[in-house]
Amino acid sequence: MLDGTLRMKRILNLLRRPSIAQLGPLEQQLLAALWARGSSTVREMLDAGNLKLAYTTVMTTLDRLYKKELLNRVAEGRAFRYFPRYTQEELEKAAVGETIRQLLGSGVSAGLPLSYLVEAVSQHDAGLLDDLQRLLDEKRRELKSGEKA
Amino acid sequence: MFAARCVGVSLAVFVLLYVSLSLTVSWGWKLARRMFRRRSARGLADLLFILRILPFALSSVVTLAFTLPSFLLLEPRSTDEAIGTAPLALGLCCLSLLAAGITRAAMTQRRASQAMMKWLDGSMLMESQILESGEAVPIFRTGNNAPSLTVAGVCAPKVLVSEAAIATLSPPELRTALRHEVAHALHYDNLKKLVFRFSAFPAMADLERAWSEQTEMAADDAAVSSFPDALDLAAALIKVSRLGPAESSSELSMALLHSSTALRTRVQRLVRWEKRQTPQTPRGWWYALPLVVAGTIGMVMTYGSVLTQMHVVTEWLVR
Repeated sequence: MLDGTLRMKRILNLLRRPSIAQLGPLEQQLLAALWARGSSTVREMLDAGNLKLAYTTVMTTLDRLYKKELLNRVAEGRAFRYFPRYTQEELEKAAVGETIRQLLGSGVSAGLPLSYLVEAVSQHDAGLLDDLQRLLDEKRRELKSGEKA
Repeated sequence: MFAARCVGVSLAVFVLLYVSLSLTVSWGWKLARRMFRRRSARGLADLLFILRILPFALSSVVTLAFTLPSFLLLEPRSTDEAIGTAPLALGLCCLSLLAAGITRAAMTQRRASQAMMKWLDGSMLMESQILESGEAVPIFRTGNNAPSLTVAGVCAPKVLVSEAAIATLSPPELRTALRHEVAHALHYDNLKKLVFRFSAFPAMADLERAWSEQTEMAADDAAVSSFPDALDLAAALIKVSRLGPAESSSELSMALLHSSTALRTRVQRLVRWEKRQTPQTPRGWWYALPLVVAGTIGMVMTYGSVLTQMHVVTEWLVR
């Protein structure tokens, strides 16, 4: 029982870190895939065929989840085998509790009176930023070709 | 006993009004939000701010202008009536609410000041942007222990830009990003956030989130005057996102389950930028002026009867 309480406390402390609370879509997708599989290497995840992503993208994202203490890993040859550190149920329970705690402390105003150019800057997926960069490059090219014409 | 009853009844009326108005505003906003989709980001941000503070402001006005005078003028001082359970409980609720608000706002301000002092340590004043009002917003170059681009300070906002941001952004990108931050300073957005902290109410979370999004978009609009500007600001957003947070800013994040949609929406909005046809100044407010004047005149003319009605209500509350 004490073990369970301590475990939940650890998850709650993790959830209070913005980097954990703000998992990007790709991080959520990979975490869900690991919950479904139990454990996996990057190659196994890609070979399963559900992910249309580059090897390095999956590797970087799993490494980020490991650094956020959501995954454990063990060396397996030249790669790592990743395991979810907490079950989906444990994380969801803790997330709901933490959301309620935040709501009772009011919403957006729970932060300090500071304005950032971008909120929680590192919490976005590298993949999302790449997509947005491509969109921007495309618009810049259109602008340049429009100017030339 | 008269003074205690007066305070108890006034606070009870305040808390009842505050809670009911807050719930009405938050539910009303959820139902009516689609009606305001065509409004400019600045207009919508201003409207949301007014809606957010309306329950507190209106409850204060009603308490100070009606409840208190009606009790002082119409309640006999000679009676030895007790405060009553309902006013006592509601009054204590109100005091707790106010004390929590003051404490929360003071602690938040203290933490923000400490963070700003830490970030400003060893910083260098780059320039000052002179606003239309004649005030100047100083721009400081900070070390990399500070967030990339921030506005700090409540009454005298300062723009902080880290060395990493200066090194990463091109001059046009940095210029539009700074204009974005200066727009926040010009509209005292940090002060507004502090007001939200003072008058926190759980059901208002959605409205505050909507205000926060619209404020960012309004600052984007203020920073951009052409399509190349919009692309520069979009590039600055992406580059600053890639820079990652400074160590010290991680604890200052605002939302628990923040999604990537805010950044995506802003960038997509910027790359689709086109010259706005609608004027930036919210002319709509002038239409409300006759209504406000008529309301004030009506209130002055019927003040006596309103006080009597209010006294009937407070009598019912005491019983």
